[in-house]
Amino acid sequence: MSEFFTETIVISILAAMVRIGAPLILAAIGELIAERAGVINLGVEGMMLMGCFLGFFVTFETGSILAGIGAAMVGAMLMSLIMAFMAITLRLEQFVTGLALNLLASGLTLFWFRSLLKTIGSTQPNIDLLEKAPIPFLSDIPYLGIIVFSHNWLVYLAILSVPICSFFLYKTKYGLELRCLGENPRAIDMKGLSVAKRQYLAVLFGGMMAGLAGAFISVGSSIRFVPEMTAGRGWLAIVIVIAGNWQPKWILVAALVFAFLEAFQMHVQAVGINFPYQILLALPYVVAVIALMHRRARSRAPASLGVAYSRGS
Amino acid sequence: MLEQLQIKNLTKRFGTVIANDRVTFDVRRGEIHCLFGENGAGKSTLAECIYGTYRSESGTICFNGELVEFNSPRDAIQLGIGMIHQHFVLVPPLTVLENIIVGTEDAKVLLNTQKAENKFKELCARYELKLNGHAAIWDLSVGEQQWVEILKALYLDVKFLILDEPTAVLTPEESDKLFRILNVMKRQGISIVLITHKLKEVMQSDRVTVMRKGKIINTVDTKSTTREQLTHMMISSELAVQGLKKKINSESTVVQIKKLDVRGPRGGYAVKDLNLTLNSHEIVGIAGVAGNGQKELFETLVGIQSPESGEVWLDTEDITHWSPAEILAAGVGHIPQDRYREGLIGQLSIVDNLLLGMHRSPRFAQRGFLDQERVRAFVQEQVDQFEIVAPSIDTVVGNLSGGNAQKVVLARELFQASVVLLANQPTRGLDISIADYVHRQLLEKRKEGYAILLASEELDELIKLSDRIVVMFKGQIAGEFVADNPDLEQIGLLMAGGNL
Amino acid sequence: MNWAKIRLERRDEVTWAWRLFCFLVAILGTLLVTGVLISTAGKEPIEAFKELFIGAFFGIDSIVETLVRATPLILTGLAAVVAFRAKIWSIGQEGQLVLGAIAAYWASIVFEGLPRIIVLSGVICLGFVGGALLGVFCGWLKARYRVDEIISTVMFNYAIFYLLTYLLSGPWQPPGDFYVQSAPVIEKALLPNLLQDTRLHGGLFIAIVVAIIVYILIKRTALGYEIRAFGSNPIASSFKGIKPTRMLVVVMLISGGIAGLAGTSELLGVHGRLNTDIAAGAGYTGIIVALIGGLTPLGTVIAAVLFGAMVNGGFMMQVVTGVPKSMVFAMQAITLLFFLCSTLMSQYRIKRVTEDV
Repeated sequence: MSEFFTETIVISILAAMVRIGAPLILAAIGELIAERAGVINLGVEGMMLMGCFLGFFVTFETGSILAGIGAAMVGAMLMSLIMAFMAITLRLEQFVTGLALNLLASGLTLFWFRSLLKTIGSTQPNIDLLEKAPIPFLSDIPYLGIIVFSHNWLVYLAILSVPICSFFLYKTKYGLELRCLGENPRAIDMKGLSVAKRQYLAVLFGGMMAGLAGAFISVGSSIRFVPEMTAGRGWLAIVIVIAGNWQPKWILVAALVFAFLEAFQMHVQAVGINFPYQILLALPYVVAVIALMHRRARSRAPASLGVAYSRGS
Repeated sequence: MLEQLQIKNLTKRFGTVIANDRVTFDVRRGEIHCLFGENGAGKSTLAECIYGTYRSESGTICFNGELVEFNSPRDAIQLGIGMIHQHFVLVPPLTVLENIIVGTEDAKVLLNTQKAENKFKELCARYELKLNGHAAIWDLSVGEQQWVEILKALYLDVKFLILDEPTAVLTPEESDKLFRILNVMKRQGISIVLITHKLKEVMQSDRVTVMRKGKIINTVDTKSTTREQLTHMMISSELAVQGLKKKINSESTVVQIKKLDVRGPRGGYAVKDLNLTLNSHEIVGIAGVAGNGQKELFETLVGIQSPESGEVWLDTEDITHWSPAEILAAGVGHIPQDRYREGLIGQLSIVDNLLLGMHRSPRFAQRGFLDQERVRAFVQEQVDQFEIVAPSIDTVVGNLSGGNAQKVVLARELFQASVVLLANQPTRGLDISIADYVHRQLLEKRKEGYAILLASEELDELIKLSDRIVVMFKGQIAGEFVADNPDLEQIGLLMAGGNL
Repeated sequence: MNWAKIRLERRDEVTWAWRLFCFLVAILGTLLVTGVLISTAGKEPIEAFKELFIGAFFGIDSIVETLVRATPLILTGLAAVVAFRAKIWSIGQEGQLVLGAIAAYWASIVFEGLPRIIVLSGVICLGFVGGALLGVFCGWLKARYRVDEIISTVMFNYAIFYLLTYLLSGPWQPPGDFYVQSAPVIEKALLPNLLQDTRLHGGLFIAIVVAIIVYILIKRTALGYEIRAFGSNPIASSFKGIKPTRMLVVVMLISGGIAGLAGTSELLGVHGRLNTDIAAGAGYTGIIVALIGGLTPLGTVIAAVLFGAMVNGGFMMQVVTGVPKSMVFAMQAITLLFFLCSTLMSQYRIKRVTEDV
């Protein structure tokens, strides 16, 4: 058991944690913005899956990873536009719309996967991975260099999105408006600012980030697309927002905890320790429920979360 | 004097309801102009049309002599119009300063808190307000929150300010302070529209416009009018309950509340060391500004909240920790403060609403199955008896008028109660005629021997109905009065937290 | 700015003709959008829809197969109806279905030596209990720790699925077997066939009985009344003695149990052994079915049969036109989206407004 925790192994688990955490952070930051605006977007899983497929498919067709990532973001944003229209304009139950979008993405990506990506013989279509881009000098720092600074640029973007989001929320005028929106949209409306416009933009941003997160899961970490590839990570992103108490820095921590569980599980599976790895696979979901049982989580939940705003009546 | 605002023939409808019917109204520069009328007279709607929240169907609005069209509060704000709403429009977790600066044009992108803070301090000094700009709203008292609302408007350099029932949440002392602030504003040339239904406030204005049922009755100079004239303009029908309240000697103690402590929503005590007895054949009135523990007291008495300590006795039984169902079964009825939130189920029918609480009683349910025929017969009986106006007993309660909805609550609670009736603000927002109906029902039950606890913000109502009046302040009983001829000034003083 | 300048105004009167019109618009919209998506894959939409329809309804075999496909959807749909009527947003039918099937399979092993009637009733009871336990647990988490039921139920959908794969690749995998599946269920635990030489099994009978029970529950019983009252206004309900904790637990017990029966029926009526296809999305589809059925038992049964037909017809569509049958799942989600909009349209007047919002 002692050689199981050698230095190299610990470092490689931690590096995997950062890599696996990246899409969770991207999606959770996007969801945070939407929720701060008062819209609970339960369609993250579907938007990620759509991004995941489109990222792979467009990269496969065009050979350009950037085009793939762009397509993933656009596709997920289109889905979030449906979400925004139904939740904000039509004021339908937000959870139902989110769920419908998840099912739509699930069916549609499978359909496109089967009809557009022909298997040639026994080989599945595959693509080249997004290349790693170690940051000069920083990647030479002992331990930290490998853990944090030797990934692809999407990972850096994910990590950077946390302080950027924090700065946006607490230091800018638009961030202040957003924080008001989820608590009391009337306060925004009565200052003569458009509630709907801000909510639309927030939901669209959330969709874009979910698309980016989805693209990471395909082009950023796999050479193939597999149906249902996101495997509940979109839902985990929603849990992370709650567990992170709607604050960027705690969201980062929560995302890394879940990522660690998965990195650990992958390591156990790879080493071939005689332990049912399915139990470890289930662990993040069980931990998620336990995290939500904690009373202090939710203390900063936006007060008007999930409630459609209307001025009159 | 120049008219700053002129409104001609403004009409605003909500569905089939006409909230403002060809309203013509003007405000002069630098005056305090009261809009006076009952609840539901259309004052707030008119104000929201001026502020751009609503758009009128017809009519014109001239501001500073120019015809304007408001599509959003933004348009009104740009002309220097501000509004303080009846319900706070604050964001509780954010700080005072953040609430003030959100949506202002100060910042391009980055927030400039230093500049904002300087202006905030300057305003506080000018209007003699003591506020910490970095305190979160939810840590402030209700009165302080009202000052934040006023500062929000002042920060935008308003020239024209509408205040919708601003004193509803203030103590008399704070109300006086508000008027001092308003007079300072007036001297600076700000025009003020004050919406109120309190005569005392009307008398401090320059001019007053009386509204009734969506229409303007008259606009008069305050100096040249009297309270009686104004009341007469405001109310269409005369009160008729006087003389109904005959003295009845109460026989026995029904409810005893001993040293009750109840926690409030934000930690501290909402009710503290409260002792009170209710006798049969008696109405005990609770006077006090809302938010002084009335809600928590009632919720504890019906079993929704659990007290921290103390006891509640009903006759010879300790009901302190009984469940709502048990307390209901013991014959305690409850008319809650917010009828749509706590009393009714808006999406269900009159039948289902009258059944609420009795759906497991042997009268209507056998072995878990409801006896529909019996239920419907019972409901029809109640609807007839209480003269509830509705297309049918299957009408959804949310579609009833406020008065008829309250009658549904009343019918249900009066039927279910057999010894005690708890009524928290039972006439709030109702027409005079329906309020009068509620009053008669309460007095009827008093005659039958019920012990009744009645909380109200209207002292007139309490004096009309109660045998005793207790004043509640910060969760405690501040004083008790016999209601025959109480000293109103003393009650007012206690409500404001003063000592006798 | 021109953002979402519309307002909804409730219609005073909703005629049947108008409702039907809105419904038809929804169907037309669904077909249109689905058609466009089919053509993105370079296929002929009209041809695909035709084969879908033929595959679903033409011939006794097709109709039987449609009913077989509809059976789990009726049950999961009813599970959603019970929960949603109380405004408890449980989307855990998928996991409850699987746990129900696991419990039923376990029961079939334990009761092996007993007479058939006992085995059969025991297996069905345990299937109910399996789903109910998971439901109650999520209800309790909400009541006790305020854990959002949407999240907790989804989390357990994933966790239970991993539990299933663990069981099927470990303890319950027959020795030497390569596939991730269990040994066949013993003969006497299987549900009897309703129609000779077809796949129509007793699960449909169970589903119809449950639909009738749910109808009576909601319409005629005090508990059903409590569910409706609690769902519409939990605060007013609690003031009149309806305990939120009790509602959460009882509703989730019934809802979870019904979903568990769906798993039992699939295990003992269709698959005959436990495998990873036991749920196949029926839990999620059941939610769509319930919503389209207007959260009424009858509407749910009708919607479930239509959705069963879609799935069944999808096979024919795939075989004849080469359009993958997974299209059907996308089509079902699109149906829900259009249906939500059309329901809104039928109840409200959508007005353009001049106010900025």
